[in-house]
Order: sequence, then C-alpha cells, then structure tokens
Amino acid sequence: MNLPLLSIMTWAPFVAALIIMFLGRRSPLLVRWTAVLGAFVSLVASLYVYWAYDRVAAGFQFGEKFALVPSLGISYELGLDGMSALMVLLTSIIIFAGAFASWTVKERGQEFYALLLLLVTGVYGVFVSLDLFVFFLFYEIAVLPMYLLIGIWGSSGYVKPQGIFGWAMGRTGVGTKEYAAMKLTLYLLFGSAFILVGILALYVANGSRSFSFLDFQAMNIDPTLQSWVFLAFYIGFGILAAIWPFHTWSPDGHASAPTAVSMLHAGVLMKLGAYGVVRLGMGLLPDASVEWAWLVGAIACINIVYGALSALAQTDLKYVIAYSSVSHMGVVMLGAATLTQTGLNGSVFQMFAHGIMTGLFFALVGLVYEKSHSREIFKMGGFGTMMPGIATAFTIAGLSSLGLPATAGFVAEFLTFLGAWSSAHPWWLFPGVIGALLTSIYVLRVTKAIFWGPPSTDPHFQNLPDAVGTEWAALGILVFVLVLFGVVPSLAIAPIDTATMPLLMRLTGR
Amino acid sequence: MTFDLGMPLLAEVALFALAVLVLIVGLITQGNAHQRIGWLTLIGLVGVLGLTFVATEGASLFSLSFVQDDFALFAKRLFIVATMVSLLGSLTLRHSTFARRSAEYHFAILSSLVGMMVLASARDLVLIFVAFELMSIPLYVLTGFLKRDSTTSEAALKFFLVGTVSSAVIAYGMSFIYGVTGSTALEAIGPALADGSPLMVLGMTMLFAGLSFKIAAFPFHMWAPDAYEAASTPFVAWLAVAPKAAGFVAIIRLYVEGAGSTSLMWMPMVAAIAGMTIVTGNLMAIPQSNIKRLLAYSGIAHIGYMLIGLAAFSSSGVAMMLFYLVAYLFGNMGAFMVVEAVAQSESSDGIDAYKGLAQRSPLLALAMLIFLLSLGGIPFVAGFWAKLYVFWAAIERGLYGLVFLGAVLTVVALYYYLLVARRMYIETSDRTDPIPVPGLLGLAIVICLIGVIGIGVYPGPWVDMALRVASTLF
Repeated sequence: MNLPLLSIMTWAPFVAALIIMFLGRRSPLLVRWTAVLGAFVSLVASLYVYWAYDRVAAGFQFGEKFALVPSLGISYELGLDGMSALMVLLTSIIIFAGAFASWTVKERGQEFYALLLLLVTGVYGVFVSLDLFVFFLFYEIAVLPMYLLIGIWGSSGYVKPQGIFGWAMGRTGVGTKEYAAMKLTLYLLFGSAFILVGILALYVANGSRSFSFLDFQAMNIDPTLQSWVFLAFYIGFGILAAIWPFHTWSPDGHASAPTAVSMLHAGVLMKLGAYGVVRLGMGLLPDASVEWAWLVGAIACINIVYGALSALAQTDLKYVIAYSSVSHMGVVMLGAATLTQTGLNGSVFQMFAHGIMTGLFFALVGLVYEKSHSREIFKMGGFGTMMPGIATAFTIAGLSSLGLPATAGFVAEFLTFLGAWSSAHPWWLFPGVIGALLTSIYVLRVTKAIFWGPPSTDPHFQNLPDAVGTEWAALGILVFVLVLFGVVPSLAIAPIDTATMPLLMRLTGR
Repeated sequence: MTFDLGMPLLAEVALFALAVLVLIVGLITQGNAHQRIGWLTLIGLVGVLGLTFVATEGASLFSLSFVQDDFALFAKRLFIVATMVSLLGSLTLRHSTFARRSAEYHFAILSSLVGMMVLASARDLVLIFVAFELMSIPLYVLTGFLKRDSTTSEAALKFFLVGTVSSAVIAYGMSFIYGVTGSTALEAIGPALADGSPLMVLGMTMLFAGLSFKIAAFPFHMWAPDAYEAASTPFVAWLAVAPKAAGFVAIIRLYVEGAGSTSLMWMPMVAAIAGMTIVTGNLMAIPQSNIKRLLAYSGIAHIGYMLIGLAAFSSSGVAMMLFYLVAYLFGNMGAFMVVEAVAQSESSDGIDAYKGLAQRSPLLALAMLIFLLSLGGIPFVAGFWAKLYVFWAAIERGLYGLVFLGAVLTVVALYYYLLVARRMYIETSDRTDPIPVPGLLGLAIVICLIGVIGIGVYPGPWVDMALRVASTLF
C-alpha cells in the first residue's frame, strides 16, 4: 500500500490542532498530550521518509499530486529530496521537543498549542511542496500565527532607548512583546510580497500554465528576468533568513517569544528562508545565482561578523542567543554562495545543526528564566552547582555553537569554510573565521558568567531547581541529536549530497 | 411578445412592484412595521434572485439598449445578494427611526437596487445615466436617514453635493460623446474614438472622473469615511459594496464594451489612479480610531486593487476584478456586520470597544479576524485569491511596478488590520460578559463566513465563472 506519507506528516499537526480546539479548556493535560501525539506522528513519518529515501535514485520521491485549480495550473504537488528530508527531520525534532519544553504554558493553553501546531503544518508544507503556489500558501501559514503567539504569550523585556534612534525607540515601545510581534510579522509579510511577485513573474514567463517546480526547472528563463526574480527571492526569503540589514526583527522577535516559539522560529523558520533561497533562487535561476553570488556571499560575511559583535554587546541572555542566530545564518548563506559542493553541503548541514543548537539554546534559556525569573547575564552566577543538568546541556550547545569537533556545529562550519576557500572568493574565509572566534568569546563568556563563575549573592538566585520531568525529554533529545550528527556526519551528508550535486550541475554545467 | 419568466426587464419590474408593495404595507400597518416589512422585502428579494436564474441569457430589449447577457446577470445576482445580507442586518436595528419609517427605508433601498439592476443591463448612454441617478439619489437619503445630529446631516449633504456634481460631470461628458457620434448607443463610441476626435477623448475622460467618484477612487474618495461614519452600519455595509460594484459595472460597459481597445489610452491614467488610491486608502486607515472609518479607508484601498484589474485591460484582468468584487462583498459586509453586533452591545464604533473580545465572545472575535484576514489578503480566505489573481492579470500585462506597490501596501493594510486583532486577542478588558448577537445578525455573519471561507478554500468554480463572464466582453 502506498501511504501519502508527506501529507500525513504535514497535516497531522493540523488535525491535532483541530482536535485541541474542540477539546475544551478544562483538560490542559489532554491538550498537551494531543499536541505531543500530533508531533509524534509527524516525527515517525519524517524519520521513516528519511530512512526510506532512496539515495541512489535521488531526485524527488514520495510524490503526491492532484489538481486544485486546473484552469490556472495549480496543483497540490508534494515531493521530497535529500535536502528537504533533512529539513523535515529537523522540524519534527524541534516541534517534538518544543511541545515538551512549553509544558508549563498555563494561560490559554488550548489556543497556544493549536496555533503552534498550525504553524508547524505550514513549515512542513513549505519543505515538501513542489508547487510554487502551494509553497507560498504554506509559507504564509508558517508566518502569520507568529503574531498572536508572540503577542499573547510572549514576554516584554526592557530595552533602554539610546543612540541616534533613541527617540524612535522610546516612541515605538521597543522591547515590548506587542512591538516585537508586529515588527516580526510586518517584516516577514513584506518579504512575502517580494516572493509573491517573483513567483508570479516566473509563472507569467512560463505562459501561465503551471506552478509546478519541475516545470519551472525545465524552462529556459531569460537572464534579465532571472536576475530580477533572484533579487526578489533573495530579499523576500532573505528577510526570513535574517540577512543584514533586514535582520532586526529577529532579535526582538526571538527575545520576546515564548520558549517553544523561539525554538521553532529560530530553529526552523529561519531555515525556511535559507531553504527558499537555495531551493527557489538557486534551483530555478542558475544564471542569476552565479551572477549574484558575490552579493549573497558579501552580505553573509557581514552577517557573520556583525551578528557576532552584536551578540557580544548584549547583557540580556535571550538577545545573545538571538544575535548568535543572525551570525550563524550568515554561515548558512555563505555556504550557499560559495557555489561549491563542499560549501553547499556545509550550508545545508549548518541549517540542520544550527536548528538543533538554537532550539536547545532557547529551550535552556526558557528553563533558566522560568526557574530564576531573570535574563540578565551578569546578575546571575554559579548556577552550575544548582542546576547541573541545564548547565551541562548549555555548555554542549555552546561548544557546538563555537564549532568544537564532535558536535554538529563543527562539521557545518568546517565544510562551509572549506567551500569558501575553494570558491571564487577565497577571502570569504576570513570573516567566517573571525566570526567563529568572536562566537567562542561570547559563548564562553556567557557560559562562565551564568553557570561556572562564582555564585551570585542575590537572594533570588539561591536554591534553584534543575530541570524536571518532561523538560529532560526536550533537552535529552536535542543534545543527543547534536552529538550524534557531530560524530557521524555522514548521516546527514549522504542525503544532502543527493540534492546538492544535481543543483551544482545545473549551476555550473552551462 | 409572449410572457415568460426568462424575459428581460421582468426582474426589474418585479422589484419595482415589490418596492410599491412595501410602501403600501407601510401605509396600512399601524405601529411598528419594521419586522413585517423587512421580512416581506427579504422574501420578495429571494423571488427576484430566483428570476435572475431562470432569465434567458442573451435576450435583449429596445434594440439592444437593454441586454441580459452573462455579465448583467452576474452583476444583478451580486447586487441582490449584497442587499439581502444588508437587510438581514438591518432587521435587528432597534432604533426608533426604523420603527417609524421602516417602509421608507426599504423603499429607498429597493429603488436604488432597481437602478443598479437596470444599470447592469444598460447599453445606452441615456439609460446608463438614468439608472445611475435612480441608484444614487436614494443613497443620499439613506445616509442621512438616522438624523442623529449635525454630523449626520453634514455627511449626507457632503455626499449629496459631491454626488450631484459628479453626476453633472458624467452628463456633461456624455453630451460630448453624443455631440460627436450623434448616437447614444455604446457601439458608436469605439469607432468615434478610433477616428481620434479630441472631443471624444475629453468626454470619455470626464466620464471616468464622474465614475471615479461613484467608486470612491482617489482623488474623489473624501465622501466615503464621513458617510460611513454617519449612517447605520448594515446600510453602510451595503453602501460600501453594491454601489461601488455598480460603478465598476458602468466602467466595464463604457470602456471595455463600448470603447474597446481604444480605451488603452486611458490605462496609464487608470494605473496611476489605482496606485494613488491604494496608497491613500491604506495610509489614511492607519491613524483611524473609529472602526467604520478604518473600514472606509481600507475599502478605498480595495477599490484601488480592483482598478489594477482594470488597468491590466485584458479578459483575465476584468475577470479578476469581478472575482475581487465577490470576495470583497463577503469580507467587507461580514466585517461590518460584526461591527454592528459590537456597536449594539457597546454603543461604540471605537476600535477600543474590541478590547478583549476574544475572551468575551471568542466566536465573534474569530469571525472578525477571518474577515480582516480576508480583507488583508491572507491564504485560505477569499481575499487572498482576489489580490493574487488581480496581480497575476497585471503582471501578464507587464505592470510590475503597480503590482509591487500593491503587494507592499498589503503589508501596510495588514498592519492596521492586526491593530484590531491586537485589541481583540492580545489586550484584555475588565469586562468578561459575552456580547449578545441577535439571531439574524448572526445569520448574516455566518453567510459571509461561508462565502469567505468557501471561496478561500475552493476558488476554482468562482474563478471559472468570472473568467467566463469576462470572456464575453472582449
């Protein structure tokens, strides 16, 4: 029997969300277990397709297709290649861990889980859809629930208005969750306007017959049009991937969002942007990708260094992690811009590694905040003796972040830098390495200050508990995956290869 | 000529008879006749709607000056459905004016509807003008119907003065056209324009200016927010949809059917007007604190998006404009019905009245959210497809700049829609009592919800219908 695995994976969270909406408010435990179950079904499906994906045959597999609007050539077409297989696996792991990590959401839990699962449906849909139109639909579902998720369940921090934009910061309410939610939503929707125009332009150039990715791939697009559409995709998806200078939504949004949402957004949704650039931008517009590689790479370099420097300047723990995401997304984009096999592999690997790592970081920050009610790095101290489990996990995540061998982060950065060195712009290596150096400074500084330094004398920070119950499940899964893919990178490299090789052939084969 | 149910003009005559009947019932009923007259009108409208479905397609009267083509029938059904939704809402109005003068209210609405229906079929300059006036004059009366205070009278007077001036401009423009062609038939316009007569160009341009007022396009949009704020909400829901649709119908008849490909010379102007309308509407909506004014400005922006479809000036462009009208009907009327429900309970049209609505009445808040998302153009609700199709039609004609402007301003629109969502979902209110929704108002909201979600989830048949209707015009 041929199960529509990709549909099951995509819609299982949605069904769970519907069930949750009908469960009623009185049974919060039932709501959580339904959410976990929905996530579990997707996890099993994604593990299965990851395992069953035929690496010799490569290409898009597990295809499903039926027409939605035949007169306009829109169809519900799903398929999965090596790159998307890895991405759906990442999504499954993060949402599964995230469902556990947000066990303590008390207020309006029903709506919280329903929106979270709706969001995840959108993310799965983007990774597996082969019809650009359906792709865009899922993309919007993945973006919109964020407004309510941050706006209702987020937390406001205090940001001191300063600098030349101080007056504007004071007026707009920087740091509040409402501000962050609106900023994030508008930035991302602004990006999706670019994407929509790009997709429509391709569609019309194709004679308005079909939105299918494969049909677009088969056609010869005029280089001038390619150039424009690539820029539209690069800006549109790039905003979601937090490319400089469109990255400012990311620290605000991630710092204000509740734990599971930060995990999902920084861990998976930002990858969606990078995935979009690689899949649509480079996959459909080979000439333009080569033409604009210098721009993508140069901005990626800015991202790496700028993000790391910004992270260095923060005193709020969540902002440090958020800026580190900006820096690491630069590595992802840099790898893609190298246009080499090694670099692209590193880029996709970094998407995965950074997803797991940031998910773990945000889960830990959430736990620390929940126990100590503080995000101020330099007020906390000596937590390592009180919460050894959290401290260990944080240290492992930190070591992966700075690229220590035997963690997934090392493999990703190593491959990317190798790719950069062998690319047309070898100097890209230097910003990358500087970024890695800065990363080790801010990561070690934070880890030392909070966990391993002298204990704080503040009475609030005495006798704090370690992680409990389901929280261990979330941490355990993420740490395990992080180390596993660091020790056995071929687990991911093999499927990535099947996707990047044909992509490069198209890019350089003409 | 033998009588049959499909003959042209039968629906209009029946509608007029219904209007007269309403007036008579109002005269002979003692006391509060609002419910009785409202139901009578609704049932009558169901009958008239039925007539449009048995009408013979392609039949005509008066040597082709009154036609019953696909396009006319489509427009008529749109007008009638909009009127029915609005009347469902107005049946729940408890204002004393409606108790006393219900017959007048319904008579005025029905006569305006007769005007729209005739307009939909008219293919003659004089008939178009007469139908337009028949439609417009009751609107001025209805805007000032509540006679609440001086602002109501001011809004009605403003609407009336600008409206009559624009009618005069239309008539003046038509006189040029008649002067050159010597005929009032639409068929004469195209050839005369092709001859390059400057008077023709002037006449058609003036005509467009006059019609721009009717659809509230920039720079003739000022009347809309004032009129919306002053009038009763169920009527406003209708005013925001039906007369504007009628304006578009007239534009399509005159410029697409009448002038044909010679109207391409106006399309840069239409594109500019569309762009300005979108920018003005969306930017002006941001600072509004009254939800009706906010929806008025957002409605102006929507008119701009529909004009993009016209600016594309292709079969698909006009089709997508028609599709947009349908989506706009359900989304906009639904939003106004929710506004009415909240206003009846809170006695306020302020956006702040929506604070904590999600906690007080979750379903009402969800309905409002869905309508706003549809207006904002979010997938899986009707408005998304509407915007998308209009953009697609415009890109086919290479209008990249206009599409880009429209797409970017969608984000601005979502900003102010989300501000309402923020009141409903994020902010909390100290009141926890649910907002009572009268049954009929609830029904109107549900109908609009079905429309918005139904079209959003499965737009295929609606798109095909719009494409079919538009293909007969080119």
